[in-house]
Amino acid sequence: MRILVVEDELTLAAQLVEGIQSVGYVVDVAHNGVDGHFMGETEPYDAIVLDIGLPQMDGITVLKKWRAAGRTLPVLILTARDTWREKVAGIDAGADDYLTKPFHMEELLARLRALIRRAGGHASTELVCGPLTLDTRSSRASVDGTALTLTSHEYRVLAYLMHHPGEIVSRAELTEHIYAQDFDRDSNTVEVFIARLRKKLPPGLIETVRGLGYRLNKAP
Amino acid sequence: MNLSLLRNSLRIRLLVGTLFWIVISILVAGWGLGQLFHQHVEAQFDAELKNHLDQLTAQLILDEQNQAQVRLLPSDPRLNKPLSGLYWQIDRIAAAGDHPVKAVLRSRSLWDETLAVPADTPADGEIHQHRIEGPQGVTLKIVERTVTIDTHSLRLMVAANESLMTGPIADFKGHLWLALGILGMGLTFAASMQVFVGLAPLRSMQDALGRVRQGDARNMEGIFPNEIMPLVNEFNTVLAQNAEVVERARTQAGNLAHALKTPLSVLANAANAPEKRDDDLARLVASQVDTVRKQVDYHLSRAQAAAAVKVPGMRTAVEPVIRGLVRVMQRVHADRQLEFVVLPDPANLAFRGEEQDLQEMLGNLIDNASKWARSRIEIQVSDESGKLRVRIDDDGKGIAETERDHVLKRGVRADEQVPGTGLGLAITADLARMYGGDLVLAKSSLGGLRASLTLPAV
Repeated sequence: MRILVVEDELTLAAQLVEGIQSVGYVVDVAHNGVDGHFMGETEPYDAIVLDIGLPQMDGITVLKKWRAAGRTLPVLILTARDTWREKVAGIDAGADDYLTKPFHMEELLARLRALIRRAGGHASTELVCGPLTLDTRSSRASVDGTALTLTSHEYRVLAYLMHHPGEIVSRAELTEHIYAQDFDRDSNTVEVFIARLRKKLPPGLIETVRGLGYRLNKAP
Repeated sequence: MNLSLLRNSLRIRLLVGTLFWIVISILVAGWGLGQLFHQHVEAQFDAELKNHLDQLTAQLILDEQNQAQVRLLPSDPRLNKPLSGLYWQIDRIAAAGDHPVKAVLRSRSLWDETLAVPADTPADGEIHQHRIEGPQGVTLKIVERTVTIDTHSLRLMVAANESLMTGPIADFKGHLWLALGILGMGLTFAASMQVFVGLAPLRSMQDALGRVRQGDARNMEGIFPNEIMPLVNEFNTVLAQNAEVVERARTQAGNLAHALKTPLSVLANAANAPEKRDDDLARLVASQVDTVRKQVDYHLSRAQAAAAVKVPGMRTAVEPVIRGLVRVMQRVHADRQLEFVVLPDPANLAFRGEEQDLQEMLGNLIDNASKWARSRIEIQVSDESGKLRVRIDDDGKGIAETERDHVLKRGVRADEQVPGTGLGLAITADLARMYGGDLVLAKSSLGGLRASLTLPAV
């Protein structure tokens, strides 16, 4: 899962990045509205944390532009003014949830998880696919109740597949969702992670669709 | 006339002044015209009498027996009609052997009466006037002269009923006063109209002010006369300044919130970092950050409202505010399938106050209801004898009766550590009180909490 954080206060931005990374997401950060808008429009994020009071272009405008351009990804807005006028404006601009500063990092992570889950149409914090279970709260996966030991990259690949069960996910798509923007990407590494995951999972769960990508099957 | 009435009403002031002058003018005009007409008629009356006397004199001769004769009787038919009111008579005055004889000749109108004139001998050519009592006791006006032919002296007199003169005068005066009375009424009506028309701008100013008070207009609109326009402009300036004060308070409060809360977020996150969980200092910072946040929220919301409460002419439609907040709740609680029911249609109900304050109050209440509701939130807006009543019901677990007052009084007490609850209700109750309304918590028929907010309506 790849998250964009748009926050102009550098320390808070760093804390957000650290907090979100700690639960296994990949995070990009932008420090002003213009950069944030550009990144949100060009990169395939799974959710965005957007501060409203941004330099150069305010958060509400950025959000409206994304929505006008047809971007439907979940957006969580951060507001410092804590007025309902601002919250109504944010929701009407297309936000999916709001959080008032100062906030607890756990609260932000819980909201973020809920948004990503909702966007994928999942009602529970636990994603289940056949024998596989993914607890998005604790960032742990298990097979038939037995916990799996996964590296963070392996977890990201599995989590993305679990959020899109039965769908064909291309290698490029996986790459985009498991690496931050400035990371030197090599799609071959995805194949490495898939191969390692296959060793840890029951056979046949991750299917290769030739020329298109991978698919997570509900039953092996 | 009640003096305070005179002092208090511009209209009565103007009307009384105008009416005073109308009455004075009409009295003076009536009296003056009456006098003028009287003099005119009297002069004409006298002239007519003299005219008759002259005719009589011209036709007077003495016959062979030295008896006075009138060759040609004056032609006025009234002189031939008995007791018509117009008479003449000739007396012989004792002189040079003549003995006086009363009424040697007289008009036929005198019948067998005689004119009893006081003793008087006007010199030759002089005409004297008298008022005497004539036939049937009426007052006569009489002119006389003495004519001497050879040695015989004769006294010629012509008399007329004074009523022949006073009758037309009385008639005229009657008509005159009637006409002046009508004129007076016309003038009074005109004066009232003038006062009405002249004071019309004041009335429209009052209406414009009323619209501002009602919140239908932001400032006093319309073109007013030069005498009033400065007042209107001045007032509009004051209104604009008031609105500006509110806006400035809001902006400053917003800026302060923004300036404080981002650093607070940094502090809170640093203090809550997993590796600091057991650090006493970190825990202290975390708890104090929470307190600061509450203090800031509470006092800023009060400061903003305090500025707005004093401004007249605020009007906020309730429905759009509720709809906006419900949209927020539906989005934020999208996965909980909450049902929001707004009844009845509050389309034309409005709050006498600032939009953001209404948004804060309703936002806190609806947010609270949404947090605790199981599946259903009912929002009922009604107008109760001039007050706006918003009732918000939820089907959650509610608040125990003993806790309700406590929740409303909680305010900014530092020891409250339940995140996100309570403070909103306390702020709402405070804002409602500042607007002269109140917030009452009760048990809802849905099973949860019923929050009844009463506010001034427009």
